[in-house]
Amino acid sequence: MSTKTNIIQPNRQLIRPCTVVYGVLVVLTLVTWSIGRAGLGGLWVSLLVLGFALFKAQLVGDWFMGLRDIRGIWRWVVVIWLAVPGSLITLAFAFSHGG
Amino acid sequence: MRGILMDTVVRHEQARPGYPPGDLAIWIFILAELLVFAIFFAAYAFARSGQAELFNHYQATLNRDTALFNTLALLTSSYFVVRGVVAAREGNNALCARWLWAAVAMGGLFLVIKASEYADHFAAGVSLSSNTFYMFYLSLTFFHFMHVILGMVILAAVAVKAGRDGYSPDDHTGVETGASYWHMVDMVWLILFPLVYVMR
Amino acid sequence: MQYQSQAVAKPYFIAAIGLFVGQILFGLILGLQYVIGDFMFPEIPFNVARMVHTNLLIVWLLFGFMGAAYYLVPEEAERELFSPGLAILMFWIFLVAGALTILGYLLVPYSGLAELTQNSVLPTMGREFLEQPTITKLGIVVVALAFLFNIGMTILKGRKTAVSLVLLIGLLGLAVMFLFSFYNPDNLAKDKYYWWWVVHLWVEGVWELILGSILAFVLIKTTGVDREVIEKWLYVIIAMTLITGIIGTGHHYYWIGAPEYWQWWGSIFSALEPIPFFMMTVFAFNMVNRRRRNHPNKAAVLWAMGTAVMAFLGAGVWGFLHTLAPINYYTHGTQITAAHGHMAFYGAYVMIVLTMISYAMPMLRGRTAAPSNRSQVVEMWSFWLMTVSIVFITLFLTGAGILQVYLQRYSGDPLPFMVVQDKIAMFYWMREVAGAVFMVGLIAYVASFFVGSRDPEATAVAGDSAAA
Ligand code: HEM
Ligand code: HEM
Ligand SMILES: [Fe+2]
Repeated sequence: MSTKTNIIQPNRQLIRPCTVVYGVLVVLTLVTWSIGRAGLGGLWVSLLVLGFALFKAQLVGDWFMGLRDIRGIWRWVVVIWLAVPGSLITLAFAFSHGG
Repeated sequence: MRGILMDTVVRHEQARPGYPPGDLAIWIFILAELLVFAIFFAAYAFARSGQAELFNHYQATLNRDTALFNTLALLTSSYFVVRGVVAAREGNNALCARWLWAAVAMGGLFLVIKASEYADHFAAGVSLSSNTFYMFYLSLTFFHFMHVILGMVILAAVAVKAGRDGYSPDDHTGVETGASYWHMVDMVWLILFPLVYVMR
Repeated sequence: MQYQSQAVAKPYFIAAIGLFVGQILFGLILGLQYVIGDFMFPEIPFNVARMVHTNLLIVWLLFGFMGAAYYLVPEEAERELFSPGLAILMFWIFLVAGALTILGYLLVPYSGLAELTQNSVLPTMGREFLEQPTITKLGIVVVALAFLFNIGMTILKGRKTAVSLVLLIGLLGLAVMFLFSFYNPDNLAKDKYYWWWVVHLWVEGVWELILGSILAFVLIKTTGVDREVIEKWLYVIIAMTLITGIIGTGHHYYWIGAPEYWQWWGSIFSALEPIPFFMMTVFAFNMVNRRRRNHPNKAAVLWAMGTAVMAFLGAGVWGFLHTLAPINYYTHGTQITAAHGHMAFYGAYVMIVLTMISYAMPMLRGRTAAPSNRSQVVEMWSFWLMTVSIVFITLFLTGAGILQVYLQRYSGDPLPFMVVQDKIAMFYWMREVAGAVFMVGLIAYVASFFVGSRDPEATAVAGDSAAA
């Protein structure tokens, strides 16, 4: 029934792509956490942290949900979704820091 | 079987599918859920811009370390789910069930950690009416908390079916349906964590 | 008609239509009283006429829902109704109790009615839509229990389908939510909670399940699209309904003394309530476009499509208009609310009941599928007359509402309530005219049952668009 190419190639590779993605997600999470721990703040730091978050969510959409293998509008649902809170949050933080 | 509109689409064997993995109905549901969270996030950000001092002050009272562990728990569970889907696709139901149960366990860990955080807050007398920051913090995390529970129920149901050898390489839409929902729960937390715990 | 016992639906439908006529008559009286203050005073004061108008609406919709269930459930369960006799008995009890209550409203002053029916023993009277004397409320509960028992047994003993289960859950919810009407705390804030748990959780909760399942049933029958496809939609729609609708109750907590966070919760969740209504619209059009047959009862299909569109407009669009707390702060309890109330009730619940009547009545009257062509033409006229007039009623009230909000609450120099009412009287006159056209449409509707009833049945023409 399912004709899609696998998200992950079965055991042929030494390390599965999804495992690499998982590693990236963990590292970015630790970076975000360290920024919080260091008490860093301000517009640009916040936007950097937000950027990490959007990128991470995008990785989950592409690699874990498997949207990267889809064509058409559904390929982009997560990207489109992320753009909404992403831009609104950016706007709101720009307000509070700039205005 | 695959989705509501599937039969209207002519699918070529080689072509990349035009629909995401899992039942299309769950994706309509996921979209609606994502919309709620997006609105909630934006509301948080705009409410914050009016009271940045207050938000920064109370944000500092949250436990960022437990939130880190919770993020790792969800990421790991999502990873397990991916492996479960691979196993189902390769026809290995027993392995699929094991990965999914491991994912459910990670979800359980999330719930325990989060519940202990709540216990601390309530012991400190924090409530929805304390201030706007706590209102958002409690609302957002609790709404997400409920989604973790729902996601675990779905994953458990799929795991049980996999345990009974209920899927095959040709027909494992159920696994993908549960997986898609769970990844959504994870993905939302990936935004929630920095927004509420870190960004200031 | 596949099962003999489906015939019990017929008296329910006839009673529904009869009370519908009464409701609109009182609507017209109310509309005149808005512009001619002492019209019919002291025989029928405004508050009494309003009570009769809204109570008749609720009662006839309940008759319609019950009739729909009695027709639909045997067909879905593939067996005769558990007890047709019980259904007929309940019909008469409900009709007599309803008639006595309305007569009570009209003949006895409301406070006298309260004394007469011993309201002090268990005070439940005096809240909008729930004005019935306690004894009538108890009667409603008895009828509802007997009805649910009858329907429930039929489903239990027969085939269980998604359509009949969703319907049953909706009807069960209707009865359960009604129980909140028996508690009438002295504390005004608490009182409002309990009132909304009936009113809101009805129209934006369990009634939507009833709406969804009846719509699904009629679409299955008229389009021939696979049940599996339709059921999947039904599940997604009711899941969305419940997620948004239950917490969405918060849009009524803004100013009643509830904690402030409800302004956020209520706004966010109720803002999403239009989604299930929108999905219903997409669903209905999608099914009709994919139809496997052209059903000869084009009027029924027209009603079904009309429901899907008008419910979205009335509940979804006009509901969204005033559901966000910062907007509701200004519009609360103005003509905007009345505009929304009219279009939503008509678009969702009046129209779904008329859809079901339109679909079922030909069979109940001994035809195989459809009324005659002539009858359908009159029915479609009535569809357009009523629907277009409710749109105009809504637009006029919205215009009145916007002016009212501006003059009375927003402008730098706010005017007193009654002064504003005088300034917007023009809109009330236009509403009354639209209401009269509605009445004409309703008369045409009733006439459609008598026109061409000896003509042969309409037949489907191949390639004919179903909702033309
Ligand atoms: C078929 C479904 C619906 C029906 C029959 C309906 C009917 C009504 C009625 C009769 C009222 C007036 C209650 C009163 O006497 O105060 C009302 C109020 C209200 N409705 Fe709905 N409604 C529906 C759906 C919705 C939806 C989906 C929304 C939001 C998107 C909504 C938002 C509101 C709000 C905010 C009020 C309060 C207005 C005020 O503050 O005065 N309704 N509705
Ligand atoms: C099927 C059609 C109709 C439905 C479903 C309906 C429904 C309702 C509802 C739910 C209310 C209470 C509104 C609220 O609390 O905000 C109401 C009140 C009212 N209706 Fe109707 N109605 C219908 C037809 C009419 C017509 C044709 C007229 C007159 C032209 C009319 C005139 C009124 C008036 C004047 C009120 C009182 C509003 C107030 O208290 O300010 N209605 N109706
Ligand atoms: Fe409501």
